[in-house]
Amino acid sequence: MEMNRRGFLGAVGRVSIGAAASVAGAGHAAEAAAGGHIPHWGMVVDLRKCIGCQACTVACIMENDVPEGAFRTHVSVYELVMDGQDPAMVMLPRLCNHCDNPPCVPVCPVEATFKAENGEVLVDASRCVGCAYCVQACPYDARFINHQTQTADKCTFCYQRTQAGLLPACVETCVGGARNFGDLTDPDSEVAKMLSENEVSVLRPEMHTNPNVYYIGLQDVLAGRVAGEAAFHPAVLTEPGLTGADAHGEGA
Amino acid sequence: MEIQELVGAVHHVAWLPWAVQYFFLIAISTTAFLLALPAFLLGREAALPRARLALMTAVTTGITAPIALLADLHQPGRFWEFFVYTNASSWMAWGAWFVPAYVGLLVLFAWAVHRPAFHACGQEDWRFAWIFRWLSLGGSANGFARPLGYAALFAAILVLSYTGAEVYVVKARPLWNTPFLPWQFVATGFVGALGVMLVLERVLSRDGGTEAQLNRRLALWLGVVAVLGAAWYGVALSGISPRHTEALASVAGFPVWHVLAIWGAGTVAITFLLALLAPRNSGWVTGLLAIHAAWMFRWTVFMGGQAVPKVGSGLYDALLPAGIAGLMGVIGTFGLWLFLVIAYTTFIPWSEAGVPTAGKTAAPSRPASQF
Repeated sequence: MEMNRRGFLGAVGRVSIGAAASVAGAGHAAEAAAGGHIPHWGMVVDLRKCIGCQACTVACIMENDVPEGAFRTHVSVYELVMDGQDPAMVMLPRLCNHCDNPPCVPVCPVEATFKAENGEVLVDASRCVGCAYCVQACPYDARFINHQTQTADKCTFCYQRTQAGLLPACVETCVGGARNFGDLTDPDSEVAKMLSENEVSVLRPEMHTNPNVYYIGLQDVLAGRVAGEAAFHPAVLTEPGLTGADAHGEGA
Repeated sequence: MEIQELVGAVHHVAWLPWAVQYFFLIAISTTAFLLALPAFLLGREAALPRARLALMTAVTTGITAPIALLADLHQPGRFWEFFVYTNASSWMAWGAWFVPAYVGLLVLFAWAVHRPAFHACGQEDWRFAWIFRWLSLGGSANGFARPLGYAALFAAILVLSYTGAEVYVVKARPLWNTPFLPWQFVATGFVGALGVMLVLERVLSRDGGTEAQLNRRLALWLGVVAVLGAAWYGVALSGISPRHTEALASVAGFPVWHVLAIWGAGTVAITFLLALLAPRNSGWVTGLLAIHAAWMFRWTVFMGGQAVPKVGSGLYDALLPAGIAGLMGVIGTFGLWLFLVIAYTTFIPWSEAGVPTAGKTAAPSRPASQF
């Protein structure tokens, strides 16, 4: 019993230190911005650490008031059966890649979507006409029409949080530390170190969008359109949401 | 390797059936307008019967199309922003300028073509003569119809270009990102326009000669559609163009797409044979089949194209919902078009439209009592 309590308290301590470090990391970047250096935000997703818990999906929905049936981020889950091997579960967190060459920006007829100073691709909802041209142009299916605002919606890297020196909600809530966020141009940042120390991939490199979301441990078969079978797809015009047996059971 | 997607996100179709209606109607309008030009711009009197039907088709579908486009905006009240915040790198932004220019010039051209008849109706002694005097603006000269027609022709080409380019540039959707697509829009536009003209001809004039002429042209454009479709398929199969190969691969494994391909090819083949072999007695059938083919092509491109996930597995369903964004929207658009056709044929002396002349045009011989 004593061992358990000690273990529990130790774990709490590690979690607290980890959270403080994360916030401090964003705060450091904010200070750098104040000193004249403009951070270029990016995310490194270590797929070896993702357990597919969807905590990031829920945190994003709660932080950003994402309407039911839509997602700014979610974790795709695949079962891979390689020749002669046992089936393997593979997780793939998906979100806007905040591309440096974003295909969604030039197609917007009213310049409502734009590349912000820190590299985020944002939507000015007060200007968006809801034409959904950007939704079509995004090669990552990362945009959608928010049927509460009737405008284009997407991940902003939690702009409201990063402006306040906080981490995006999905990063802060990530249980396994799979999602890492920071200034890609700061060699001392955690994400910059991860990029230099690991072999990383991006989704759909053939689209030449120069994404700012990198993956460690991404299998080639999952980098583009996944040529597999979907377990369950509800009617797209009427029942949008997460698919799959688990999600369906939750009423998605 | 076998892959099963256990959890993924399904995405709404972002361009609703309204978009299908818009691209269908605007293609019919612009191509029908082109079919009206041999008579009204080049002065070929023999082409007048079909040119009158073509102009009616162009005007009625040309007015309906932008309304369907507006309905596809999720913030239709902000349409004015297209003109205030124009993004020059967006084909859609250019379209916001091209479409009103085309529709405005088209309506002005149609008015100029009909002006002599308006004037004649206004000179007679009957209850609504004052309306036609007002419509004719007190004169019958319509020499300015030709420059208006050339301007509208330029605008129609711009509209045809932008509608094709707007979809073609979307690299994220391999089915759309093909240089064949703009030409397929044009060719199927002609098919749809000739289909509408055939139906109108059967309803309004029942002139066997015109029916045969329209059917022969329909067969020609169906041939162009078949050649373009075969070329697309050949390029995709050959592997010389990765984007076409990817487009074919993205749908080839799904039985629903096999049905669509057979259905489309069958419709084109049957309509082609009917139009070619029985041009005088098949107007109703070939006309309706042609309309169906042109509409189905756009449904397949837009709704079918959006049902292909960009990153996920499988296909989303591309069903036609019953609500205002689906079936009711489609029916409503056709209802508006039908209303405009009834209004056009009721209030406009369309069958009197002649070749525009530089000087004053002789008044048509039909008495106003026939309206």
